[in-house]
Amino acid sequence: MSKEIKVNCMGENCPVPLVETRKAINKAKEGDILVITGDHASSKKEIPMAVEAMDLELISVKDIDDYWEIKIGV
Amino acid sequence: MNKEMVYLDNSAVTRLDKNVLKAMQPYFFDTYAVATSEFAYTMGIEAKEALNKARMKIAESLGAKKEELIFTSGTTESNNLALKGIMYNQKEKGHLIVSEIENFSVLNTAQRLEKEGYDVSYIGVDGEGKIKFEELKAEIREDTVLVSIQHANQEIGTVQNIKKIAKLLKDKNILFHTDATHTFRRIPIDVSEVPVDLITISAHTIHGPRGIGALFKKDSVKIQKIMNGGFQENNLRAGVENIPAAVGFAKAVELITEEENKKLKNMRDKLIERIEAEIDDVTLNGSRKDRIPQNANITFHYVEGESITLHLDMRGFAVSTGSACFSKSLEASHVILGIGGDHVRAHGSIRFTFSRYNNDQDVEKVVTAIKEVVENLREISPLGKKGSEKNEFSLQ
Repeated sequence: MSKEIKVNCMGENCPVPLVETRKAINKAKEGDILVITGDHASSKKEIPMAVEAMDLELISVKDIDDYWEIKIGV
Repeated sequence: MNKEMVYLDNSAVTRLDKNVLKAMQPYFFDTYAVATSEFAYTMGIEAKEALNKARMKIAESLGAKKEELIFTSGTTESNNLALKGIMYNQKEKGHLIVSEIENFSVLNTAQRLEKEGYDVSYIGVDGEGKIKFEELKAEIREDTVLVSIQHANQEIGTVQNIKKIAKLLKDKNILFHTDATHTFRRIPIDVSEVPVDLITISAHTIHGPRGIGALFKKDSVKIQKIMNGGFQENNLRAGVENIPAAVGFAKAVELITEEENKKLKNMRDKLIERIEAEIDDVTLNGSRKDRIPQNANITFHYVEGESITLHLDMRGFAVSTGSACFSKSLEASHVILGIGGDHVRAHGSIRFTFSRYNNDQDVEKVVTAIKEVVENLREISPLGKKGSEKNEFSLQ
C-alpha cells in the first residue's frame, strides 16, 4: 500500500535537504509520495533537478508562507 | 532503489574479481588450518605451502625475495609498521621526513611519532604534486633515519620520481619507504633496480580482497614489531595468518595485465580530454604526464564537490570529492591544499578512478551526466559565476 512520507528540512542548508531527499527516495516503495518541506532557496531548485534526472514524478513545487513544499511520486 | 551504478571510486576500493574469490574458497572450506610447521598435521602444512606460494608470487612481482615480504592487514598497517618499526628500532630518537600529501596512515603515524619525541619534517610539493626535491635535500640531517614518500598520490594520482629519491637517499645511507598502494601492478617497481628499502602494497586496489596487504622490507633492513603476540611473519607481525586473503592477493597480482593498464589509461585520457573540451572553468589536479593510469581528478569551479557527487549518485555514478563534508576529517583535501589550491578548488574537486570493470561507455555516460549536473548547479550556485553573488557557504 502506498503512503505519504514527510521529510522536514526546515532550517537545513544545501546539500542537507537533497541528502535527506535521497535517503527518503532510497527507502521509499513504488507508489509512495514524498512531501519535502524546507526553506533553503537553492534546495528548492536542486531537488527538482535530481528528481527529473532520476525519472521520478515531480508532482508539485509550492511556496507556502516562508517555506517551500515539494511533492515527489516514487 | 537498486539501479545499476557506474562505479568510479576504484582508488577507494575495487570490486573483488570472481577468479580471486574462487582461488580463496578452498582456504575457507577445505584447507582452512593455520600455517603450521612440517612436524604438525597435513592440513596445516598445506596451508603454509599456500601462504608461501602466495608470498613468492607477490614478492616476485616486485623483484624481491619471498623472505622480504611481510603480510599485513593492508595499507594502514604496512605504513604504521614501516614508520614505527624503523623509528622504534633506533638507539636514539631520530629524524623522519615525509611529504605533506601522504595518505593519513603515514601523516598521522608521523604526527604520533612527533608526540613521542621524534623529529619529523614535512616536505612540500609543487603545483603538480611532485615533491620539492631541493627541499628534501635541504631537510636531510645527520640523524635522519627514514624518508617516507608515496609512489603516487591517492587523490590526484601524481607519480613521484622514486628512482631519483631512492638514489639520493642511498648515497646518504638513509632508509627509504614508499607507499605504493596506488601504483602496485599499475606502474612497475623492481627493487633489484630501484634501491627502495620498504614498500607498502595492498590487495584492495587491484581487485583483491580487503584486509590484506604487505610490506616489502629489504632483508638487510631491521625493524621492530609493533604488535605484541605470536611469532608469525618472521616474528615481525603477530596474529594468525590470513591465508585465504593472501592467496587471493596473489591471484589478484597475477590477473593484472599490461593491456588492462593501457585500457585504464585510455579511459582516463578520454575522460580528461572530453571534460576539458566540453565544460568551461575546469582544472585538472595533478600531473598531466606523470599520473597513474586509473586516476583523473578535476575541479569544477563555482560548484561544490558534495553537490556534484550527490547529483551523480542519484543518476547512478559513484565518484569522490575532496570537499570537506564528504571526508570524515571534515576538512578540505590536504592534497589539493598542498598543491597550492585554495579551499574553493578543494571543494569543487572530483576524483574519477577506473578499474577493469569500466569501459568506454562508462566514460561517455559520466561525461554526459557531469556536463548536465555542473551546468545545472552553476545556475543555482552560491559560489559565483551564474549564481548569486552572495556566498552562502563558509568555505574557511
